[in-house]
Amino acid sequence: MASITVPMSGAQTAPRPKLSEYLRWSVDHKIIGTQYMATALFFFLIGGTLALLIRWELLTPALDFAATGSIYNSLFTMHATVMIFLWIIPFWAGIGNYIVPLQLGAKDMAFPWLNAFAFWLIIPAGILMLAGYFVGPAEAGWTSYPPLSVLFSGDGQTLWIISLHILGVSSILGAINFIVTIKNMRPESMGWFQMPLFAWAQLATSLIQILGVPFLAGGLTLLLLDRVAGTAFFDPSRGGDVLVWQNIFWFYSHPAVYVMVLPGMGVLSEVISVHSRKPIFGYKAIAFSSMGIALVGFTVWAHHMFTSLSPSLRIPFMVTSFIIAIPTGIKIFSWLATMWGGKIRFNSAMLFSVGFLSQFVIGGITGMMLGAIPLDIHMHDTYFVVSHFHFVLFGGSVFAIYSSIYHWFPKVTGRMLDERLGKIHFYVTYVSFFLTFFPQHIVGMQGMPRRVAEYAPEFQTMNIIISISAFVLGISTFIILFNMWWSMNHGKIAGPNPWRALTLEWQTSSPPPSYNFKGEVVPFEDPYGYGTEASRVYLDEMEKRLTPANLLGKTGDGGNSSEPMTGD
Amino acid sequence: MNLSAKGGGSGFNPVLIILGGAIVLVGGYLISLLAPSLFPVAASAEAGPIDQLFQVMLFLGGVVFMLVEGLLIVSIVRFRARKGETGDGANFNGNITLEVIWTIIPAIVVVFITLYSYQVWVDIRAPKDDELLIEANGQRFVWSFTYTDPLDRLAELNTQTFSDNVLHTYVGRPVRLKMYTSDVNHAFWVPTMRIKQDLLAGRETEIGFTPTVAGRYRVVCAELCGSGHGGMFTYIQVYATEQEWLERFIDPKVDFIVNPPSDPVVLGQVTLQSGRDGRAYPCSGCHVLDELGWAGVTGPSLNGIADTADRRAQSNGLADAADYIAQSIRHPNAYAVPGFNLGVMPQFGGEETEPEAVDGAYYMYMPTTDLINIVSYLCTQTATGDSACGDIDAITTAVETQSQ
Repeated sequence: MASITVPMSGAQTAPRPKLSEYLRWSVDHKIIGTQYMATALFFFLIGGTLALLIRWELLTPALDFAATGSIYNSLFTMHATVMIFLWIIPFWAGIGNYIVPLQLGAKDMAFPWLNAFAFWLIIPAGILMLAGYFVGPAEAGWTSYPPLSVLFSGDGQTLWIISLHILGVSSILGAINFIVTIKNMRPESMGWFQMPLFAWAQLATSLIQILGVPFLAGGLTLLLLDRVAGTAFFDPSRGGDVLVWQNIFWFYSHPAVYVMVLPGMGVLSEVISVHSRKPIFGYKAIAFSSMGIALVGFTVWAHHMFTSLSPSLRIPFMVTSFIIAIPTGIKIFSWLATMWGGKIRFNSAMLFSVGFLSQFVIGGITGMMLGAIPLDIHMHDTYFVVSHFHFVLFGGSVFAIYSSIYHWFPKVTGRMLDERLGKIHFYVTYVSFFLTFFPQHIVGMQGMPRRVAEYAPEFQTMNIIISISAFVLGISTFIILFNMWWSMNHGKIAGPNPWRALTLEWQTSSPPPSYNFKGEVVPFEDPYGYGTEASRVYLDEMEKRLTPANLLGKTGDGGNSSEPMTGD
Repeated sequence: MNLSAKGGGSGFNPVLIILGGAIVLVGGYLISLLAPSLFPVAASAEAGPIDQLFQVMLFLGGVVFMLVEGLLIVSIVRFRARKGETGDGANFNGNITLEVIWTIIPAIVVVFITLYSYQVWVDIRAPKDDELLIEANGQRFVWSFTYTDPLDRLAELNTQTFSDNVLHTYVGRPVRLKMYTSDVNHAFWVPTMRIKQDLLAGRETEIGFTPTVAGRYRVVCAELCGSGHGGMFTYIQVYATEQEWLERFIDPKVDFIVNPPSDPVVLGQVTLQSGRDGRAYPCSGCHVLDELGWAGVTGPSLNGIADTADRRAQSNGLADAADYIAQSIRHPNAYAVPGFNLGVMPQFGGEETEPEAVDGAYYMYMPTTDLINIVSYLCTQTATGDSACGDIDAITTAVETQSQ
């Protein structure tokens, strides 16, 4: 299925920065974005390895692979923490950093120095997190409830807290940057409702971060003081209250899940529209629903506490949790309506976005079930919950990350990813993902709690199926990693706009020069205006402008990325 | 195709829409039929409405699933770009009618399930008449339950309650558990009864339920509580009638208090199973002891412990088996059994025992009389069944030595 319309022959039109430029301080958002993404992919592998160790232990009902229950508990604690805070959240910061300024026709983010600083905080935070392994890693779950996390967790728990503090600062600084960039750095002709939905998604995400992360910081500080300074915030015997942690933690951590999924939804809006060759259906509804989800997301937190919160307080959180289904449903139907009537190219980017749709809806359905208090009473803290959040975080966020990689790799590297490998990657991932996580609904309902290395023997058969599928899923990761590594230097040359897409990141070379755009930036009137004569004219005009001859003309030289921005 | 025209165009064939709608609804219904097989047996009055709520939600979820996946599949088949096709799709980007429909209908469904769930919750939560009050205690990593005699035979005695590691009740009587934790948060979950409630440090929490089917059902801890979390389980024994419950559980317990046996070995065995003053000792949560049916996984096995104690006593500088066993209970962090970590077993201190300062360990009180009886019983855990220790005086001396 040919999706490249005009392969650009000959040399790269803009040279890629050298490897050494990625290993040092740079204020270029494209370098920083790539640094974020590479770091995140590294931690994906660590988190994934921890997952496979968990699944190896769970092949049998007894504790036999991990030497002690403590070691097992640290496996899932670190698995979740690494995946959430060092893989998904930084990856979205990375691709957002790379693409959003380009989509807005800007030369860089609003605060380039702050941008670099926010990235470089990730490195010591990641080191601290992993350093826990030298002193006894955190083992109280990523939710870290006291008294367990104060009394019975290794010294790594303290390092875990400090690491999260640093990551929180990074998130806040990045969020400020996105908000100011999106508000202030659009071209004259690009009003709020002419900017790409990926930018709307990053805006909503950033608003959540600046409002929510300070609460996490507050809770972490109290926990740290209880651990090292003898305070009693969470010690009931001295006047403290364990529920205070749960409320503060979840007040941030529920909105955090929208931080993890909203950028992915933004990716879907881009990918589905471009590869269906159709305008996004219901642009305003999708934009407003992103903001709606961000807002309502702050009102649902205690649905994580339906078995611990005082019973009389539980109802309002059920109401708000159900309400949030409505903006989510609007998005899903809008994407379906975008595909309907299109001329769909089923390349790897599109496959993973469609995969997101089909798996995320399952996660949404089980989320609604968990929102019903009487059902949650049975299903809370069981494998049903584990299944639900993996459907939305892997079937959702990670599929969207994969989709974004297939979609934007050509822009970042100037090369296409191999399509055959991409399709193999998709099918292997899709099937093994489903077989890994769908059965977990069943064992959870049947009586298997979460966070256990020992379980009732009647669950073993299911667990074996799950574990074997998980190993296949783990291996499937290497298909895309190999594809990326190989295609970097051997993939087909992509040219500026292999997808013939209308958003601004495609109206410059691949990769873009250090100053992003040569000459005046001319956005098309509708970033999703496919199917019109005007869009065809625009794309043909852009193709003429972005030939190698023109791009390598008078002043285009790729540039040294650490120089101040120049260009016509 | 022009979606902005009302009803026109091949995308809006009314027959296909009705057919599609029927497939979606029937498919959702068929999916919902799976609901009963997904749950374990239903053994409480609460399970009925909960399972039914789930079946309704599975129907609604099934409908959404069929709709979304169905539209996806149709799109994939029908709107796939054919080989060589390079053009775009149609340029329409909205349809107010559709957007209103898919906002309003989900909103209606949301209102419906909110009201339905609310009603089920209120019914489950409401206190019932004539509840049987039982106290539940969770600690790392064992459950214990404390009962009072319904026939009030202990009114004159010092000990008015008794405990057991298993929850005993009977069909048809509503139970209300008042729950406490000795250390970190735990959660009480009975999958067959669909009820779960956290035990929170520093608080009393409670849960009510009514068993409806006699049997023995697993009780599982459902809040991460440490290394032995997965092994922290027990059972709820539901007798068919109140009479059976009294005869097989209550009466023997009361009898033991009213007419305590004098044999320290028997006293020791029952103390291990029932505890003291209403608090069960948590040994069964971590240790294996076949004779008492213990299947703990966190600590060393106690099968043949007296023989083991005899062997180890010499090399540990202790007098004899009784000395070793008493030390293991009074000062568990004095010696690490190979393969196990210090700081996990609680210290069971006596009237004059010095608390140990080991990170993560904590302290329970075990009076000397209890320890003497327990040591006497454990001394009989030998290959032959004969005690490996001396007489009661020797055991008392060993216990008192270790109680400093």
